[in-house]
Amino acid sequence: MTRLMSNASYLQNLLATGPNSSTLGPDWLQVRREEARQQWLRAGLPANTDEQWRFTDLSFLAETSFSTGCSAAARAAEARPTGLDGAELVLINGKFNAQASRLPPAPVRVAFLAQASGAELATFEKLLGAQARPAHHGMIALNTANMSDVVLVEVPGGVAVERPLSLIVHSVGTEPFATYPRILLKVGDNSSMTVVLNFTGPDDLTYLTNSVLETYVGAGSRVELVKIQREGTAALHIGSDYAHLAKDVRFQSLSLNQGGLLVRNNVTVTLAGPGCEATLNGLSMTAGRQHVDNHTMLDHAREHCESHELYKSLLAGRSSGTFTGKILVRPGSQKTDAKQTSKAVLLSGQASMNSQPQLEIYADDVKCTHGSTNGPLDEEQLFYLRARGLAYNQARAMLTGAFAADVLARVWQPEVRGTLEDLVVVELHRLEREEF
Amino acid sequence: MSILEIKDLRAGIAGREILRGVNLTIAPGEVHAIMGPNGSGKSTLAQVLAGRDTYAVTGGEVRLNGRDLLDLSPEERACEGLFLAFQYPVEIPGVSTSYFLKAALNAVRKYHGEPELDAMDFLKLMKQKMKLLDMDASFLSRAVNEGFSGGEKKRNEILQMAVLDPKLAILDETDSGLDIDALRIVAGGVNSLRGSDRGILVVTHYQRLLNYIVPDYVHVLRDGQIIKSGDKNLALELEARGYGWLEEPTAVH
Ligand SMILES: Nc1ncnc2c1ncn2[C@@H]1O[C@H](COP(=O)(O)OP(=O)(O)OP(=O)(O)O)[C@@H](O)[C@H]1O
Ligand SMILES: [Mg+2]
Repeated sequence: MTRLMSNASYLQNLLATGPNSSTLGPDWLQVRREEARQQWLRAGLPANTDEQWRFTDLSFLAETSFSTGCSAAARAAEARPTGLDGAELVLINGKFNAQASRLPPAPVRVAFLAQASGAELATFEKLLGAQARPAHHGMIALNTANMSDVVLVEVPGGVAVERPLSLIVHSVGTEPFATYPRILLKVGDNSSMTVVLNFTGPDDLTYLTNSVLETYVGAGSRVELVKIQREGTAALHIGSDYAHLAKDVRFQSLSLNQGGLLVRNNVTVTLAGPGCEATLNGLSMTAGRQHVDNHTMLDHAREHCESHELYKSLLAGRSSGTFTGKILVRPGSQKTDAKQTSKAVLLSGQASMNSQPQLEIYADDVKCTHGSTNGPLDEEQLFYLRARGLAYNQARAMLTGAFAADVLARVWQPEVRGTLEDLVVVELHRLEREEF
Repeated sequence: MSILEIKDLRAGIAGREILRGVNLTIAPGEVHAIMGPNGSGKSTLAQVLAGRDTYAVTGGEVRLNGRDLLDLSPEERACEGLFLAFQYPVEIPGVSTSYFLKAALNAVRKYHGEPELDAMDFLKLMKQKMKLLDMDASFLSRAVNEGFSGGEKKRNEILQMAVLDPKLAILDETDSGLDIDALRIVAGGVNSLRGSDRGILVVTHYQRLLNYIVPDYVHVLRDGQIIKSGDKNLALELEARGYGWLEEPTAVH
């Protein structure tokens, strides 16, 4: 049930959607939670008068009364996994569900803040919030105040993890609710792995998934993060993903957005040592009144780093999209090479897309390029295909499929790539159906 | 029955009439050539026949094998056996030539109630047709026309024609941009299609092509109307004298 909230009470209401765990855990955690709570009460929801949030209006969050989701264990069966073999960690409303999960084989380790002690607890203390600071925006503060547990996936140095590791992040509830998944990923030096995050939840129900991921990649490692956002049809999804790259790291992320009603993906990558290469990819496929806002920040903190961004959107119905690509080249970060591209196909006259670069460059020997193209499917191409006998819908599907294909082709892990291709084919049909 | 019958076809764009009453009949087995100055409406005619909806048809009628063509969608026209080799073939990044051609061929086969070709049979057919056109098999895995040279694009059009095996082939300046060898190969591809139950319409500026594809009739299109028709000698005469000597068209009744 939804009812209107007064301005002050929505802050309290959302705070109350976390587990009542404020007095649990070590002192440092209690201190951080309390700071985050204060920060949330001060800052509240990011307002769309804030330049960084101007395309995404969260005000309806303030007008909805949220509860906590259902008890986690009972609903694990509802989670929709990716179908990938291999290790799978199932988080229901932010809490790990051991029964539904398949733990990764050694030497990959999985730990939980609620049960951690000794050296493990010290790792949590060191990494948790070191990148995702409550002061960044209200949603980080709210997640930090309300997270029910923290999952840590740790890969030691010198390990090539062949099989992808999946995190199935599922939200369940029967009335408007909010969940706060919180994940840490730590990869040692000279290791490699692919991690898949799959977000799902119930259709036709207003709920909030406010998730935070902090990734730490050691020198010489190669890490790929694939986020599959398939939230329910009325969901609000706010994901804040951070990655810290040590030195000579190759890092790649892909954000596939299919679900949700209002979606905001914050991706913040710090190229903290020389010789790093970061590639951020996105593919959004939206219809109806969906809105997907991809907001990236590449912090080129050291010299000789490269970044590439390719964000693509297929928009049907009245859906809308935003891409903001922030690039910060700090003083001394010479030989930075940053390339940013945003492309959108508007499948209906009512769909819209907004792309904007935000470049802040404080070094002189750098190369930064950006470009964006938005428009309908190419009429000449459509006619050419039809003139060879392909039906209108088939011709369109061939063009939209080709549009999506080059983003997917970038995925390193072949099975993950195959899974994504399958998901996209199904989704292309949904867009075809909804577009008129 | 004629393969193609065009009667007083009028078409244009944004209130401007480009085709101003075109009449043309192609009987089975015939090759017709259309020549005419730049901007006279040759490509417009070709595109209108293929179903391009950029142009509004404002009058007249067109029959393909006796069937009303103007009511059909572009894909239905293609499936009914009309093939247009584009003056400017379109690049389609991300779609491989073989995937595209297989989908096209199977769409046409399905339309006629024939079973779809499997990958093996399709490949066999492709190899055979590509040999005919002296094309390298590596084209199959490349995106449709993307990065193809001008001549390669034209050859790719003829490959598609050879695979789809149309009843009526319309070639819009397929000869421009081709070197002498390619011209001979492309002409060979067209001539192999020549048969008693098909029609061919070539749009060209140059008599040279007509040495290889010898037409039964040559027409001159000017200002959206066919102002003169003749046999292959008309092309020779045009080559020697240009278009200036032709009279203004008389009104169409
Ligand atoms: N899409 C269009 N928009 C506006 N004008 C057009 C369009 N297509 C054709 N025209 C105009 O119609 C006339 C005929 O063009 P068309 O391309 O049919 O000529 P053509 O005979 O094929 O010329 P060429 O020999 O140069 O290929 C020209 O004046 C052209 O500018
Ligand atoms: Mg032309």
